[in-house]
Amino acid sequence: MNFFTQIGILLRKELVLELRMGYAISGILLYVLSTVFIVYAAFFQGVNSPMLWVTLFWIIMLFASVNAIVKSFVQENGARQLYYYGLLDPLAVIVSKMIYNISLLFFLSLLTWAALAFIVGNKVEEFSAFLLALFLGSAGFSILFTFVAAISSKADNNSTLLAILSFPLVIPILMTLIKLSVVATGMLEDTGVGKDIGILVAIDLVLAGLTLVLYPFLWRD
Amino acid sequence: MIRQSWWKILAVVILLYTFLAGLLIPLKPGIAEVTPRALQAGTEVELTVTGYNSYYSKAKNELRAWLKLEGDVVLKAARIEVVNDRTMKLHFNLPQYLPSDSKDDACSLILDSPIDGAIVLPEGIALTQDSVNLLEGKKLWSADKMDQLNVGPKLTFPYRSVLYETIRNQYFHVPLWFAMIFLFMFSVNFSVRYLRKYDPDADLRTLALNRAGFVFGLLGTVTGAIWAKYTWGAFWSWDVKQNMTAVALLIYSAYFILRGAFQDEEKKARLSAVYNIFAFAALIPLVFVIPRMTDSLHPGNGGNPAFGGEDLDNTMRMVFYPAGIGWTLLGFWIASVAYRVEKLQQKLLDA
Repeated sequence: MNFFTQIGILLRKELVLELRMGYAISGILLYVLSTVFIVYAAFFQGVNSPMLWVTLFWIIMLFASVNAIVKSFVQENGARQLYYYGLLDPLAVIVSKMIYNISLLFFLSLLTWAALAFIVGNKVEEFSAFLLALFLGSAGFSILFTFVAAISSKADNNSTLLAILSFPLVIPILMTLIKLSVVATGMLEDTGVGKDIGILVAIDLVLAGLTLVLYPFLWRD
Repeated sequence: MIRQSWWKILAVVILLYTFLAGLLIPLKPGIAEVTPRALQAGTEVELTVTGYNSYYSKAKNELRAWLKLEGDVVLKAARIEVVNDRTMKLHFNLPQYLPSDSKDDACSLILDSPIDGAIVLPEGIALTQDSVNLLEGKKLWSADKMDQLNVGPKLTFPYRSVLYETIRNQYFHVPLWFAMIFLFMFSVNFSVRYLRKYDPDADLRTLALNRAGFVFGLLGTVTGAIWAKYTWGAFWSWDVKQNMTAVALLIYSAYFILRGAFQDEEKKARLSAVYNIFAFAALIPLVFVIPRMTDSLHPGNGGNPAFGGEDLDNTMRMVFYPAGIGWTLLGFWIASVAYRVEKLQQKLLDA
């Protein structure tokens, strides 16, 4: 089996598993909706602040992403890992997981956006810029969380470990994303948008490169 | 024993030298304050000059002072009255017209003394005139010349406004960060070695180097924060450099927590080695790339000049470079002690 066939098969497996165990994805959807509702009740009654909107959007996204990704290695128990180990290229495993998580998070971010727009009101004016921010954000989150989830899945209390290991690393991504999204709401005229996009792309590429280099050392037990 | 630990003795000697020289060498004499800052042409004015590290009374009669406009046009002080070492009064007879084609101009003040050398207060004083007469102004200002300036004391650090004595932080803050980067670089090197050969010793060395590096990072942040209190106005002003430093320190604290999460030694060593490489690769862009690209108050970032040129003169280099070597050696010394402690603990556990 060549590399790309392996990735294709693994992606299909992820999707089939996700749909078959419907509770995981619907749980996250419910999580997003109820958080948006709480956020509306707590912050937005009579308040119109794009800055607050953007910040809360990304914080909801951050926690939704952690919840969505933490299970991506937990569901692979030891026996299945051994099975993969004999059968597959480690890079195909991690790349398929990254691609799957990027699409999942991108979908999740669109959904969060829709929910916030529906309940709180849409504050985004430049749609293409915001979509770009969403894509770069989901890419950064999913690459980082996938890698850290791979580390923390080897420990016992892995969801705490995931947060401890990944939150410091996610701060620069989050700060740049918030800046970029605030520009997309039209509240701030920023000429340095290109630089921010450059920083995000660079962070994403560095994280992806490191993950590819280091994952083969992680996965065998 | 001497042969083995010569570099430790060297570290102590160098650090003693940097502490003594870095803290005891005085700043170059400078002008701390001049009042008034706005002068009217055609009047007789008295400027009160407050010096810093200056010795005006020693050089009483040989003191000279000029107001200097653009294009080397100068006006010599008519009379100088020394109050004490730190204060003197300069009397200028300002001509009716300025050698300028506008009503407002700015000039710098230059003092010259055989003890303190020549001192410049650049562009600090505003001049105004009621009407413009360029030709007459040029004629009126052409009488004086500025010549035979003295050279001040050799063994001094530069006097810079805003920085003042905090310029000495250059021998603590910056070398501490250098040392930290070296320590972390070596720890990554040992992590790579661990992943290649699965040698438990390399894991212990990584841990020891990271511990020492983390302490140096903390000290670097603290010395930076103290410096920031006196130059930026607050210990922590949420500058991007400070934020990214905090993030970097958090990433490395997560390394120590990660180690605590595993019981199995082999697993602990392997996963923390992987994370350590990851952390170092995150550290470099966080602390050295992103702050350079965005707005930051930190020297060398956000378009601010780094220390160099006049800010880092040869006297400072004489202390700064040894300080970098000294702190780095001390860092490796601490790391080697931490490594031996770790090794002994293992031996106790095995026995």
